[in-house]
Amino acid sequence: MKAPVSWMRELADLPASAGVNDIAAAVAGVGFEVAGIEGDVIDFEITANRPDCLSVRGLAREAATAFAVQGPESRVQGLPAVARGAKVGPESEVPVTIESELCGRYALALADVTVGPSPAWLADRLTACGIRPINNVVDVTNYMLLEMGQPMHAFDVARLAGPEIRVRMARAGETLTTLDRQARTLDASMLVIADGARAVAIAGVMGGAASEVSAATTRIALESAWFQPATVRATSKRLGLKTEAAARFERGADLEAATAGLVCALDLLERIGAGHRVGRITDRFPSPGAARTITLLRAHLDRLLGDQVPDADVMRILTSLGFVVTPAHTDWHVRVPSWRVDVAREADLIEEVGRHWGVNRVPATFPALRTAPHRADAGVLRARRIRRLLCGAGLQEAVTFTFIEHVAAEPFAGGPASLVTIANPLSEKFAVLRPSMLPGLLDALSYNRRRDIADVRLFEAGSVFSMQGERQRVGWVLSGSRLVHWSQPAAEVDLFDALGVAELLADAFGVTCRFEPAADAPWCVPGRVASLFVDDGGASRRVGIVGQLLPSLTSARGLPAGVTVVAGELDLHELHGTDAALQRVTPLPRHPSVQRDLSILIDAGLPAAAVRGTIRASAPATLVDVREFDRYHGTGVPTDQVSLSLRLTFRDRDRTLTDVEVQQAVEAIIEALARTHGTTLRGN
Amino acid sequence: MTPMAASSIEDLSRQFRAALDAASSPADLKALRDDFLSRKQGRVTALVKSIATAPPEERRALGSMANALKQEIEQALDARDAAMLATARPKDTVDVSLPARRPWVGRRHPLTQVRERVEDIFMAMGYQVVAGPEIEDDWHNFEALNMPAAHPARDMQDTLYLSSPVPAPDNARAATLLRTHTSGMQIRHMEAHDPPVRIIAPGRVYRRDNFDATHTPMFTQVEGLVVDENISLGDLKGTLNAFAEEFFDAKVATRFRPSFFPYTEPSAELDVECQGCSGRGCGLCKHTGWIEILGCGMVHPAVFEAVGYDANRYTGFAFGMGIERLALRLYGVDDIRMFYENDLRFLEQIAL
Ligand SMILES: [Zn+2]
Repeated sequence: MKAPVSWMRELADLPASAGVNDIAAAVAGVGFEVAGIEGDVIDFEITANRPDCLSVRGLAREAATAFAVQGPESRVQGLPAVARGAKVGPESEVPVTIESELCGRYALALADVTVGPSPAWLADRLTACGIRPINNVVDVTNYMLLEMGQPMHAFDVARLAGPEIRVRMARAGETLTTLDRQARTLDASMLVIADGARAVAIAGVMGGAASEVSAATTRIALESAWFQPATVRATSKRLGLKTEAAARFERGADLEAATAGLVCALDLLERIGAGHRVGRITDRFPSPGAARTITLLRAHLDRLLGDQVPDADVMRILTSLGFVVTPAHTDWHVRVPSWRVDVAREADLIEEVGRHWGVNRVPATFPALRTAPHRADAGVLRARRIRRLLCGAGLQEAVTFTFIEHVAAEPFAGGPASLVTIANPLSEKFAVLRPSMLPGLLDALSYNRRRDIADVRLFEAGSVFSMQGERQRVGWVLSGSRLVHWSQPAAEVDLFDALGVAELLADAFGVTCRFEPAADAPWCVPGRVASLFVDDGGASRRVGIVGQLLPSLTSARGLPAGVTVVAGELDLHELHGTDAALQRVTPLPRHPSVQRDLSILIDAGLPAAAVRGTIRASAPATLVDVREFDRYHGTGVPTDQVSLSLRLTFRDRDRTLTDVEVQQAVEAIIEALARTHGTTLRGN
Repeated sequence: MTPMAASSIEDLSRQFRAALDAASSPADLKALRDDFLSRKQGRVTALVKSIATAPPEERRALGSMANALKQEIEQALDARDAAMLATARPKDTVDVSLPARRPWVGRRHPLTQVRERVEDIFMAMGYQVVAGPEIEDDWHNFEALNMPAAHPARDMQDTLYLSSPVPAPDNARAATLLRTHTSGMQIRHMEAHDPPVRIIAPGRVYRRDNFDATHTPMFTQVEGLVVDENISLGDLKGTLNAFAEEFFDAKVATRFRPSFFPYTEPSAELDVECQGCSGRGCGLCKHTGWIEILGCGMVHPAVFEAVGYDANRYTGFAFGMGIERLALRLYGVDDIRMFYENDLRFLEQIAL
């Protein structure tokens, strides 16, 4: 809202010593941010709760209260000349009928006019406030809109059928060409002003072109009304039509201002020689409500502010803002002025006092802690732990958008029906909620690769979405070299690096997991993807997936050909496992262990896990560890076989093992391997 | 003893000392040793031989002088040899100026670091960190926060809606929108717990906003809520002043400006003195000397009524801050998009 300071000074006795910047600062200090100052004109930002300050009068009231000087509510003002002789009554040459309760009040006056340009001072004020002058009649209505915040509209009486005014709902499919020359199709939810034949204005939003005031107009019907905020808001939104009038009505206009505005407008018409009133003012006001009175308790005021504002200041502030205050013992009964649609309860009054007393004057205190504080949410702490763990393991945390492109999401969704889509996305790039952490991470990786950053290891923990709901996951992508150093050739990351991240996470949360080949991950290279399972008392749950991304997928996301990307994702709900601090330790061994190495030839398709399983099943309890340390195929090994070398570690808790019993155990293992898998010892 | 013979021994000693001073390498020492002590051509050896030609009564004295010289030279050479050995470059020396083999290490994202910094400050003040869903229902995001349908304030936060509702696991209300603030978590917490309440709710929030240097459709928010008997605006001020001081690690001037939020009454915005210019005014603070960091206020009684708290008995304050905005200040970044590009050249400049 742009307000010229000279105009504000007409309505309030602002100190002559206060310049434009001082006035801007004072009004900003009571809650109206200053967007800019240009010469004499201050542009204030008006919050949604204060339609009364979408007017010079409202801002002058705030300024007067801030400076503790006389303002619009306390200054004695002579009523405009026309008001003294004006009679308000139901009779009129243009009868008014209200057919919907969405119109709370409708006042109408007739005037004979000579349409022409406005005087320069008036036109200049409109221009300063960002409204284009049109002609003296329209300019007067806009002037009143700016000064009082009361929107008005002038109809050419000669172009009203009847002439009469009916405030009614639009008929479905009814059309109206508005002042901006747009043909609008209305529906039955919209309130209109109609004449005897058709709609002539959209109530509170915009007038129609057909009844517009023109150079030929000689008699006008001047409307000053009140429409229900929600209906104006809905209509304005549905038609995509934002106007100065709608901005005020949809936030709540002053129900009492309708006739006062009309009187002032007629006075102004006469003052600038544009016309004069004809007959009485019609005022249709079906159910005038009583003014709200709120009791403000001293105890509540002190408690909420944490400060004691003196009685005199409470009275001064509220009275200056237009409230009628009656002291009652230590408390106050406060009548709310009709323009303060935002003030409904005691807390609102306390805000008024606090705002003008000054929040900065309230002494700073610190709230007492009366109960023991609680630990942070388990999920928050878990995410913190994961971040520290993975950062320590060399992965960089990324933050990617929750909404992504449909094509990027699709390969990772359980099916197109499971994707959560946004009804009103900003663009196609932000159209669906991510079904997985991986598409965002892949795009981040691609972003870096395209900038010649080759070695990229990223992770992110956060929410993923499907029609089943929201889940917490951690995802990671790795690409480039494992270690870059002048002392050795660079080695590219592979699937085992990605698998290792999953193992690390499971380990950190005390979860026992195993990998199995997966066949249902369409984003992975077939044969290079594993499911991560957690065994939980006989039941087995898949909690994650690790794989090498399909080249077609990586190139679709802008990665150069030949770049290997391995990735993994884990459901965090499964990592509730163990709080590290509560993890118990096992006693350290007191007897030495014995190691035996075994090199066997196995079928190339036989999983190491199967070999390990056979070994464990056939070994005594003294076998404490089985670890592969070499896998070889090539010269000396049949083409469909591989050589697998394993180190077996034996140890007993209570005694030192003898060579003989270890040897017996190894022989039993070799025998079992041969029997189960047909393996042979290498070199035999 | 002829003065001649004695003086030539002293000469030799002087010459040796000069040569020893000049020696700078093991090779020099070896040459010096050969020059003076070699059995064949050594100068001391020659001197000893020449004693035989001296008069018999002088031989004894000359002999002991020559021996003393020989011992002195040997000891000096040995000492110097040992000293040189001690400072010599050892075999298999490694060039430590070559690039080291650094362990893999990653960094927490700057937005995480700022968020955890905020969380840590409030945790130390006894706040519980809570979490909640990013897809919300209308009740928790709007209604319970004093924003009924068609409330003008809904326009302040243009909302992203889901095409079809997603069932929520823990309550009857299906999610219909992306939360526009983390205030829904305050409602959830109050619905489940009686006062006193002292929580912060961090998380991602979403607005239907353009993506440019100063706007982003997704950002990170941390909200706080304190509810108890007799919580005042003064308590809010004291708390936020303490936070600002901890966060910026300095005594910073603060300023509260009245504002409007539907769920607080009174409402205010908190400005801190611009760190870039110490309040004198610069481009960073649009020449005002102040930078807005958060919105706050006293909890609106309608919010208490929505969650079943006694609005006459309890009062409370709430505040909410944007992590991106704080991070822009902290890192001196002027384009908010940098936080979402994940450019390693940017991320690797952030502290480990
Ligand atoms: Zn500055």
